[in-house]
Amino acid sequence: MLRKCALTLAVLATLCGSAWAETIIVFATDATWPPMEFVNSDKQIVGFSVDFLKAAGKEAGFKPVFKNTAWDGIFAGLAAGKYDAISSSVSITEERKKAMDFSEPYFTVRQALIVPKDSTAKSLADLKGKKVGGQIGTTGYFAIKEADGVIPKSYDEIGLAMEDLNVGRIDAVVCDDPVAANYALDKYKDKLKIAAVLKTDKVENYGFAVKKGNKKVLDLLNKGIEAVKAKGIDKELKKKWIGQ
Amino acid sequence: MAEEKKIIEVGDGSVIPDPDDPGLISAWWIALIGTVSLLIILPLVKPDPYAKILSFVPDGILVTFKVTIASISLALVIGLLTGLGRLSKNRFINLMASLYVEVVRGIPLLVQLFYIYFALGRIVRVPDIVAAVIAMAFCYGAYMGEVFRAGIKSIDFGQTEAALSLGFNGRQTMAYVVLPQAWRTILPPVGNEFIALLKDTSLVSILAVSDILRRGREYASESFNYFETYTMIALIYLLITLILSRLISSMEHRLSHYERR
Repeated sequence: MLRKCALTLAVLATLCGSAWAETIIVFATDATWPPMEFVNSDKQIVGFSVDFLKAAGKEAGFKPVFKNTAWDGIFAGLAAGKYDAISSSVSITEERKKAMDFSEPYFTVRQALIVPKDSTAKSLADLKGKKVGGQIGTTGYFAIKEADGVIPKSYDEIGLAMEDLNVGRIDAVVCDDPVAANYALDKYKDKLKIAAVLKTDKVENYGFAVKKGNKKVLDLLNKGIEAVKAKGIDKELKKKWIGQ
Repeated sequence: MAEEKKIIEVGDGSVIPDPDDPGLISAWWIALIGTVSLLIILPLVKPDPYAKILSFVPDGILVTFKVTIASISLALVIGLLTGLGRLSKNRFINLMASLYVEVVRGIPLLVQLFYIYFALGRIVRVPDIVAAVIAMAFCYGAYMGEVFRAGIKSIDFGQTEAALSLGFNGRQTMAYVVLPQAWRTILPPVGNEFIALLKDTSLVSILAVSDILRRGREYASESFNYFETYTMIALIYLLITLILSRLISSMEHRLSHYERR
């Protein structure tokens, strides 16, 4: 009799356990974009987006798992179903919206222009005929291509572009302002500086990308994002990772 | 009777069509016709995105050719010097040449590209294409060196003896008697290496050099048409390789005039 009770309880507990089990959402991330997502010295993927998603997961009931993926193929992998979502500082653009669905914006960003400390360039117009680098497939790189007379150079990682700028192979780099701050004010603070933020009348926001039609993951994400914003957790994280 | 076989082993290259081998010839023709027709039909039938991809790529083709030709020329020079170095009686020269070949053959080409570009980039500032050419020539020079060495060794010593007895000195023998004959043996592997080098130039796209592959990747990352883009890129490389291998085969055919019965 006692054994039967124990067995029934055990079965009930397991069933309850699986009902309590969280949804796991696998995020692809190109962890070469400090301070939003990068790999620390313990080989862990850390950064603003990682903490943001962990907080959102707590609010909405999912567990984020991160997969380090190269930026160049990250959208192809999403379309192929290799992961559930992308959390890689993806700016929401009209072209991208045609290929995938985006969550609510979770961060506002602008493009910054980084130059060597002794450069006098203040905008892309000052760099006519010069080489400007950006990461392939990013809004920063698209901005360079749109500028008249500037020679665009695409890099697989923004770190390689910064290194080339440091060595003098290119004359400027355009990328998102938190990353620009991280490189110009931290890693290369003796050699590089932020010349300006590119003027634009469009607001640029990061969103999490999911495969077109994946409403389940999208709803969970939006729920988490709203909760995080309502509780002000995103402001704390901004202070922690970006210092403002 | 000759102990040294005239066949020289080389790394991966393309299959150069041998005019006497019917199997390869028909494969080459099918590949060529297939490639050309796809390259023409696809953009006509579906201009978006195929025609757009083709319009994006031409300057990349120019860059690929520039890098290939510069690298192969430099590699030939390095190869000749290395081959002669390894055959030299001077112990020091021989050691240097052998060391160079050992080291270069032990490091993958991609690693060498990164090293010369980034590691040396901090010490000596070189533009990206120059760094790419230096790295490719440095790597392929070692393999060319082995090809030159084997080709030179394959020439019967009787030639050298006869030249020396006629009053040529060592250098003249090499320049006027041995090398011209060795060239016939060396050409097929060199041609092979040329084509392998052209394919390997796709690696320089990692150094942000705007070659065919990089142009393709840039287009794909904006438009998300990965399948169509990489299909066209592969077809373009295939077309170039097919034409080149045919040219080399006909060059070989002409040079083997004296050996044909």
